[in-house]
Amino acid sequence: MRDTWTIGIDIGGTFTDVALIGNSGAVHMNKAPTTPSDPANGVMDALRRAAESLEVPLFELLGDTQRITHGSTIATNALLTRVGAKVGLITTRGFEDTPYIMRAIGRVDGLSEDEIRHVMYLTKPAPLVERSLIRGVPERMDVEGTAVIPLQTDAMKAAVDDLVEKENVEALAVCLLNAWVNPVHEQQILDYIESRYGSRIYSSYSHQLARVAGEYARMNTVLADCFVGPKVRQYLLHLEHQLHESGFGGIFLLMQGNGGLASPEQCTPVATLQSGPAGGMLAASQMAQLLGHQQVLTADMGGTSFDVGLYSKGYWRYASEPVFDRFRILQPIIEIESIGAGGGTIAHADPQLNRLIVGPQSAGADPGPACYGQGGTMPTVTDANVALGILDPDYFLGGAHPLHPEKAAAALGEVAKELGLGDLEVAAGIHQIINGKMADLIRRQVIRSGYLPAEFVLYAFGGAAAIHAVGFARDLGIQTIVVFPTSPVFSAFGIAMADVVHTKMMTCHYSLPTDPEVVNSTLKELESELLEVMSQENFSTSQVKLRRYLTLRFRRQMIGVELEIPWARFGENEMDEIQKMFADRYQTLYGKGAGNTDAGTELGAIRVDAIGPVPKASLRPQSASSDKPPAIKGERRIYLSGSWHEAQVYDWEEILPGQTLKSVSIVESPFTTVLIPPGATGEFDPYGNLILKISE
Amino acid sequence: MAAAVETLDPVKYEIFMHRLWAVGEEGRIALQRVSASPIVVQGGECMQSFYDPNGRMILACSGHLRFAAATSDAIKKIVEWFGSDPGFHDGDQIFNNDPYVAGSHTYDQMVIKPIYFDGRLIAWTASSSHTADTGGVMRGAATEIFHEGLRILGLKIVEAGQFRNDVCKTIVEQCRDPYYVELDLRSRIAGNNVSAQRFLELVDQFGIEFVEAASKKLMDDSEHMARAKLRSLPDGTWRSRMFASGMRRPEPYQIICEMTKKGDTLRFDFNGTSPQLHDDQNSTLPSTLAHVTLALTNTLFWDVPWSDGKMVPVSVSVPEGCILNAKFPAACGGAPRVGQILVSAVSDCVAKMLYAGGRYDDINAGWQGLWYEGGPGYFYGGHTRQGIPVAQGLYDIHGGGFGAAPLRDGVDSGGHSNIPSGGISDVEWIELQYPFLYLTRNHAPNGAGYGTQRGGDGTHRVYMAYGTDDLSVDFRPYAGIPNGGFGLFGGYPAGSGGLRAVWRTDPDDIKSRMIRGEYPTSPAQIIKEKWGEALARSESGPHASVPEWGLISDFTQGGGGFGDPLERSLERLQADLDAGIFNAWAAERFFGAVLGENGKLDEAASKKSRAELRAARLKGLSNPPSLHANNEAKVLAQPHAELDIVESNEGPVWRCRQCGTVLGSARENYKKLAWSVIEPLDTVSEFPLPSADPFIGEFVYYFCPSCGIQLQVDVYCPQLGGERQWWDIQIELP
Repeated sequence: MRDTWTIGIDIGGTFTDVALIGNSGAVHMNKAPTTPSDPANGVMDALRRAAESLEVPLFELLGDTQRITHGSTIATNALLTRVGAKVGLITTRGFEDTPYIMRAIGRVDGLSEDEIRHVMYLTKPAPLVERSLIRGVPERMDVEGTAVIPLQTDAMKAAVDDLVEKENVEALAVCLLNAWVNPVHEQQILDYIESRYGSRIYSSYSHQLARVAGEYARMNTVLADCFVGPKVRQYLLHLEHQLHESGFGGIFLLMQGNGGLASPEQCTPVATLQSGPAGGMLAASQMAQLLGHQQVLTADMGGTSFDVGLYSKGYWRYASEPVFDRFRILQPIIEIESIGAGGGTIAHADPQLNRLIVGPQSAGADPGPACYGQGGTMPTVTDANVALGILDPDYFLGGAHPLHPEKAAAALGEVAKELGLGDLEVAAGIHQIINGKMADLIRRQVIRSGYLPAEFVLYAFGGAAAIHAVGFARDLGIQTIVVFPTSPVFSAFGIAMADVVHTKMMTCHYSLPTDPEVVNSTLKELESELLEVMSQENFSTSQVKLRRYLTLRFRRQMIGVELEIPWARFGENEMDEIQKMFADRYQTLYGKGAGNTDAGTELGAIRVDAIGPVPKASLRPQSASSDKPPAIKGERRIYLSGSWHEAQVYDWEEILPGQTLKSVSIVESPFTTVLIPPGATGEFDPYGNLILKISE
Repeated sequence: MAAAVETLDPVKYEIFMHRLWAVGEEGRIALQRVSASPIVVQGGECMQSFYDPNGRMILACSGHLRFAAATSDAIKKIVEWFGSDPGFHDGDQIFNNDPYVAGSHTYDQMVIKPIYFDGRLIAWTASSSHTADTGGVMRGAATEIFHEGLRILGLKIVEAGQFRNDVCKTIVEQCRDPYYVELDLRSRIAGNNVSAQRFLELVDQFGIEFVEAASKKLMDDSEHMARAKLRSLPDGTWRSRMFASGMRRPEPYQIICEMTKKGDTLRFDFNGTSPQLHDDQNSTLPSTLAHVTLALTNTLFWDVPWSDGKMVPVSVSVPEGCILNAKFPAACGGAPRVGQILVSAVSDCVAKMLYAGGRYDDINAGWQGLWYEGGPGYFYGGHTRQGIPVAQGLYDIHGGGFGAAPLRDGVDSGGHSNIPSGGISDVEWIELQYPFLYLTRNHAPNGAGYGTQRGGDGTHRVYMAYGTDDLSVDFRPYAGIPNGGFGLFGGYPAGSGGLRAVWRTDPDDIKSRMIRGEYPTSPAQIIKEKWGEALARSESGPHASVPEWGLISDFTQGGGGFGDPLERSLERLQADLDAGIFNAWAAERFFGAVLGENGKLDEAASKKSRAELRAARLKGLSNPPSLHANNEAKVLAQPHAELDIVESNEGPVWRCRQCGTVLGSARENYKKLAWSVIEPLDTVSEFPLPSADPFIGEFVYYFCPSCGIQLQVDVYCPQLGGERQWWDIQIELP
């Protein structure tokens, strides 16, 4: 029987990945280089390669495809490179400088501790709107939603017309003070823009993107949306057109940073920020459910950065006020912590202080590590791994890019000389220090969420994570690590497994216990907005799964704790119960005695997620299994914990479920190398996942 | 016995160091998430740090720099006083908030926890944060520390692991908002619990000997790096003089700072600083030392790890009884403000030293350029519409402008010198918590120091008392002198715009005009459109009531300028005008620009006007010194952006970079060789003071006597006297 497919696509910085999941449970993956000038070309290339490997014409493959789910970096790249639309901003008169003032904190947002310390040197990033394209209109809403100063419509119309007709802006951002509590003034502006300009201009309104207090981040959100909006829209039209031309007649959905899909019509462009990492987290959560893991840490280590995400009992965490690049943005973006620790992280010596310093500088892609032979002379983590024998210089990227071990050795030798150490000691030191830093980051991330690292299973993906995973996991008391065969296209895989998700959130300000109906009415309002959106996505009310969350805090506190509520509506009992749940959770997070229950509890925000389940293929376990030792591809010496070890080298493709690997072993595939150091063992499960167990 | 430092395994040390920092961060995260203070949570005014058994700081994590230096003092004192009676034990935590021991004022509160291993004291951890309520008299009214409420020298809030409810209740019930104070107190305990437990895990992992040796290495390395940095800079003496004014009387005071750098040492002498005041604008010695540390951490030692080691090469001398070393029981609630002026004084000297050393990336003009002090402050009393007391400050000052740099403008609304990673609250969040309605918060017109590179602009606000009939604000007498700003090499110390005032309004009038869509977004508009009457002086001492619908206008500090403003590019000046950073008045008055009828700069007319203004500077120079250019001479030093020190037959001389003219011997104060002009501040200010009092200071301009380039703009206060031609740069010459 011919398979019908769901295809997940993820455009990354270097490669565009596709993951194909068939109704039979078959999984295929492929990659093609990303084509920044027109990313649709890279997508079509990757699909073509997938068709070739399945030995069918592309037209036939796409004809058999029910769904294409797409994560793109168009929005991400537009923001990172600051190439986007000419944006105009309408705001409350008297607050025109808000995107420039940036709550002052914009000077340091998105920077590392090391960068922040150079206070005399730091400047703010240029905002996404020119100062000359900001117009203030007379109006003022108070914090309870009363229009103290009514919107002056003549002035408003003049401002809009001026920006559109005289300044020729390509997008209009609208963010008024306290529109989160009462959006009526923003709606008046929306009505005017719609009626006068219709689809001639892209526009975005703060109350639609985030009903959340805090004008700086809310303003950034509409500005970012406008900055990337026209570009994202244009790209999507173009790609959809190409897909249809090539035979695709199924459903096309977009991945959002909240970990859910949306149709192009219902998806705001800013919501597609960070959809790649969200795909990775989603794949992790799908695998966690399949494998029965309750608490999972994801560790993604690539060339320049190390990213950590956390999944617990069916949920991942959202960043409370995420900073994208250098901007605070109010979008539900999965909380992923990142540090500059990757294969390209540079090590140097300070002989005066007898220190071996690793990072945060990175050799990046150009010149890259010394062993790339592209002119890099500073030793990197990758160079250390080559010198230690962990990486095979002739099998890097499956042998496509042979490495130069002598250049790695020379770079390490320079540092070794300065410190009076041996070359291998330095290489082993770099490996250990980077492991230590990664362990510190993971710990901070886990502790902040109120858990202990030892309770977690670690999922390692990205080119370098599986080399270091046992090293840093051991430090944290983690005992199990999983490496996936889909690891090279993990995000695309996750995107192929996603559901449709829309999220609405609203700031509020109630002392508890309050009248349950007050809370219920907000819930109802958010839910009906969401059900309306979901019906546009072709989900009936009964198909939609709603999840409700409250953010609570002790009175006078600034930061709250978000709880999922296990009921749909509040009565008196639920009002009491939620306060108890909060006090318990608070104690778990911050310890006994930290909370002051006498201060009273406040309700700070209400959030509802609407989930439209998308039918998806389930992975099937392989029937073939073996208890024989796997076939050895080769042997090589690797230097670990102060001595040389003879390691067995295996080819990932040749190993069968049930086969076990002893230390010291290396498992290689073109995009992933796994190290099983002393004290760890490996076993392949029926899904072809490699499970590493740390015994000591 | 600890292992010898030089034998420490560098790999293990690197892992340890990063982990120790991460442990402190964990503690700080715990503290911030429990705290109720906006200034702690959003403003970042807190710190988690580690100390050796003798109280020397091993490492401070990010946060408020002032606290890190202070806690060291507290531990030493507490050990001295209570070390044997009642003694300290495993599981104890001690509360302290005495500014005569540590910190700046009673709001700087810390909880200190000894860490024991095998029954032996091995380290201390401390968490500190700012809690803006200690009971006492209303802020600004104190004349003795006894008026400033809660002052605890050392009380066990946790004893042998047991939280002392009796102690907690006793402390928090001294305050107006006990819930808030208790949450903050508990947040510090939470921070310490996390830090101490994790520190012990480090001991488990690395071994006690290694931890002790590595801690020592951390401090030694800091000292080593600090000395190396000092050695890389030229020797010399730099002097600064900063002004500010008190709370109760419009009396100015000055801070005098002489900084001498020799080899790998740095010496500060504050001799000549004004005597302590009778209000709360005083700094205790611990506060002064903490602020010197803070200033050096921002400017000179930013890349040296935060441990006590970096201050070993630095010595400080402060005469007792002066405003920087106030004698007990002087009130000191305003110490952070005095501290800011002090930070400016230190930063001025350091910036000029760094310039002489060619470290252009590390140089900013002043960050604290307030055109004047007086009128409404930012501490409120009263109740919100929900009946909740308003006891905290509004910290928009955490969004002041930073000083201009040699090659770029200062950062607009960049932050605050004390808290490099702090910020200000959203207006929407402020309105959720305070009885205000903001009518504007934008960059302040004419709030940035004028210069070739302008200072970063501060913000200005107009806001209205809204939904309360019980609101007062601290109110100080107007004193017309720039507070704590400095420009560099011809830049102005501060912008001269801004109007800080409480405006009494007619509620019916304001309501009806607002319904029509009218509202003021600048003090100029309040005056022009007659929205209210400015209060000249407070009718009720150090605070003023603000009736509902009354207005407050104010501005935050801006950055100083760098270089002669007549040299600023017209293109960038046009952008300033478009963005409202400067208005036409300032563009003409200070930048010599001419605006056309369309409000845009007229390039040709501006150039002409600039040339005329520059020539006019030397008007009255009847007998120019015998000048000669010498372009071939060897440059000995470049301690000034417009003046080099070059070799000549008469020894080293000052030479103008623009015209090549030799001014005279470089062993002499260049100001004595320059042409100077004095201008009273009344004629510089955009607005008169609401009190109608005259300004109490003047600008002293120094120009090259040949080409008229502006070399320096000094503030001088005739009332305080002293040398007018202040000798700021004295390079050690061969």
